Amino acid sequence: MNTQEMNPAQPFFNLSARWQSGDKRQPACLSAGCIALFFLLLFAAGYFMNDTGLAVDFLNKKIAPSLHYPFGTDWLGRDMLVRTVKGLCRSLGIGLLAAFCSSIISIALGIMAATLGRKVDLVVSTLVNLVMATPHLVLLILISFACGGGATGVIIAVTVSHWPNLTRIIRAEILQLRESDFVLLSQRFGKTPVWIARHHMLPHVLPQFVIGLILMFPHAILHEAGLTFLGFGLAPHQPSIGILLAESMRHLSTGYWWLAILPGISLVFTVKLFDILGNNFRTILEPRTSQE
Amino acid sequence: MHHIIRFLVLFSLCCTPLLSGGSHALASSESKPPDTLVLAIGGEDKTGYDPTLGWGRYGSPMFQSTLLKFDADMKIVNDLATAYSLSKDGLVWTIDIRHDVKFSNNTPLTAEDVAFTFNTAAKSGGLVDLAHMAVAKALDRNRVQIALQENDSTFINRLITLGIVPKNFHGPDYPRKPIGSGPYMLEEWNEGQQMIVKANPYYYGAQPFFKRIVFLYTPEDTSFAAAKAGQVQMAAVPAMLAKQHVPGMTIHAVKSVDNRGLMFPTVPDTGKKTDKGYSIGNNVTADPAIRRAITIAIDRKALVQGVLEGYGRPAYGVCDGLPWDNPNNSFQDNDQAGAATLLQKAGWIDSDGDGIREKKGLKAEFTIIYPANRSERQYMALSVADTLKKIGIQANVEEKPDFDEIQKVMHKDVVVFGWGAHDPMELYQLYNTKFAGVEYNNVGYYSNPQVDENLEKAISARNLEEAIPFWQAAQVYVKEDAPWAWMVNLDHTYFVNDHLDIGKSQIEPHGHGWPITANIHEWKWKK
Repeated sequence: MNTQEMNPAQPFFNLSARWQSGDKRQPACLSAGCIALFFLLLFAAGYFMNDTGLAVDFLNKKIAPSLHYPFGTDWLGRDMLVRTVKGLCRSLGIGLLAAFCSSIISIALGIMAATLGRKVDLVVSTLVNLVMATPHLVLLILISFACGGGATGVIIAVTVSHWPNLTRIIRAEILQLRESDFVLLSQRFGKTPVWIARHHMLPHVLPQFVIGLILMFPHAILHEAGLTFLGFGLAPHQPSIGILLAESMRHLSTGYWWLAILPGISLVFTVKLFDILGNNFRTILEPRTSQE
Repeated sequence: MHHIIRFLVLFSLCCTPLLSGGSHALASSESKPPDTLVLAIGGEDKTGYDPTLGWGRYGSPMFQSTLLKFDADMKIVNDLATAYSLSKDGLVWTIDIRHDVKFSNNTPLTAEDVAFTFNTAAKSGGLVDLAHMAVAKALDRNRVQIALQENDSTFINRLITLGIVPKNFHGPDYPRKPIGSGPYMLEEWNEGQQMIVKANPYYYGAQPFFKRIVFLYTPEDTSFAAAKAGQVQMAAVPAMLAKQHVPGMTIHAVKSVDNRGLMFPTVPDTGKKTDKGYSIGNNVTADPAIRRAITIAIDRKALVQGVLEGYGRPAYGVCDGLPWDNPNNSFQDNDQAGAATLLQKAGWIDSDGDGIREKKGLKAEFTIIYPANRSERQYMALSVADTLKKIGIQANVEEKPDFDEIQKVMHKDVVVFGWGAHDPMELYQLYNTKFAGVEYNNVGYYSNPQVDENLEKAISARNLEEAIPFWQAAQVYVKEDAPWAWMVNLDHTYFVNDHLDIGKSQIEPHGHGWPITANIHEWKWKK
């Protein structure tokens, strides 16, 4: 690997500099920016949206999507647009928190495995294999149920079950870096381990971490929705995507299609956006592709 | 996992008619009576079908027969009994039973069996309410005598609900293999899935029209899908689905006393705890003004129309429309102005302008608990919370995954509960100081000496008729104190095949599904 790739003087996430260079990363930056803006708007909408849309209104129940109610209303006359936006925000918030906690575990275990010797490595690898070998959904239900359900249960369950993949990646990355030419050379030059970690390891590991984190979001959100749908997650009266989908199931057979289709599409859309965001970040941040 | 299974079954059922080319696949053969009736109305009792362990409390025991029964108009008529009398002091029941009754294994039913059933049930530790019974004994082959320890005007209800089991064939495996003298006998039972029953050839009444009946234990949505696919002749569905159209089937709505209400803790929180360590009392709902204001602020008609799709009626008491109900229980509701005045007078004033009233620094705020899997209770809680906001009371709605969790908070939080029985005993247990904190009875620790006095007079009356004035008098005080805000009585809704004649259904108790089988031996197939 070429050591010049990583010039320590230049911050690796200097987006504006890359923007001007007009390379392949330009469209990636653009779309990532748009997506970030979308999420910002979504959260702003969820935060500032008036709660009156959630109030029970028997006079206006089961209205199909119209100009006044773009997503229609449900069987209690609650505005489905408000419920969907609030639900998305809630699901996203919980997903984000869970993914964030999970990635912290990942990076801690990954670094420990790679640097603290063979015994620690063995323990961490066994743990990784153990969690990966257990069916995901079963593990999620088990943990969420044991933690008494609710938001806490979901966050803990998703946190505890999603770290192994990222741990493996980070461990492999560090192991590879330790044996790479430029690190060995730095050691010969008498650089301290801290200096090496700061200037050689971090620029390689951080992008992996950020991308891993972003790509973990969709998993976390989907699993949060799944758990809630199965009745092991969040409270039924507060909107969240899993609840909206579970509730609307009984209405699917009765013709109120908008109760399931629109929140469902919103969920798929959001998750896909995260996926695109993650891939764009990969293009932008990764040392191996950032110069293409 | 429930949802997955439900979804798969629902999905496959939805697909079936599509694949077979239209949902009328079964409609063509429907003019010919089916050999087997398939019903998706629930009613499984996990503990089994032993009346001495409580089977048959709600609705008929079906495998067994009872001494007396209610007819469709709620009149008490003979079933096994041919005559019954109560001694002057109200302590000894003497009952003559039919000579010609046989159990489904071709052994005769005698007074010995009746005495055995009552004595066994009394030992079952509260599963059957026979606390006032002393002993039952057979006087001769067809006459039984039941002695009471003290007067109990509700005792006749035990003669109506307790199915008679055979003395010589009653053992530990009886709940799984019941033998009785009812119109049907158990053929096969796959727990959690289905039960198949066949006609009892030794039944003393007219042989039932349907020789074989399958009961499917499916969740409501699955039952509805099965009805749509033409796979069942009857399905119990929630009111929400009752507005739907199912070809070849008509909705049959049965009035019930199955009610839903808000239970209020009526004592302040003084740090007292139950034996299990759960806190007792709520400072806000301990004020009768708050409870009274809530009862008159609730819009019951809107709840019936909105949550129950019109399949129900407003509830003002726990036993609306039953003989012991006080007709003066009803009042003008949806009166938010009146409720506000009431709160104002009692000193609940919004002094800091946040829309919620306070009194001496205490905010008019409490939590309404509902069980997470009961959607209609959730919607009622949400709807009531919105109404209460208008009169300056903040009600936070919260779910609990099951009743074990509800038990932990039910003495300190408001809970959406459901009751409703064909028995005034329920009044006695709900409002009596004696039952404060005993199981689910008087969980709000309601206590009023005048209520207690009338309840005692009612229960120790000689018979049901003499007790009624006392039952009604007790409810006068209850109405003033408002320990509960009763909201609605449900109508139980069933999709019934157009060819199935199920006669006239009686007003149903708590429990949607099984009670409709009370007259199952009279069901017919019509052209």
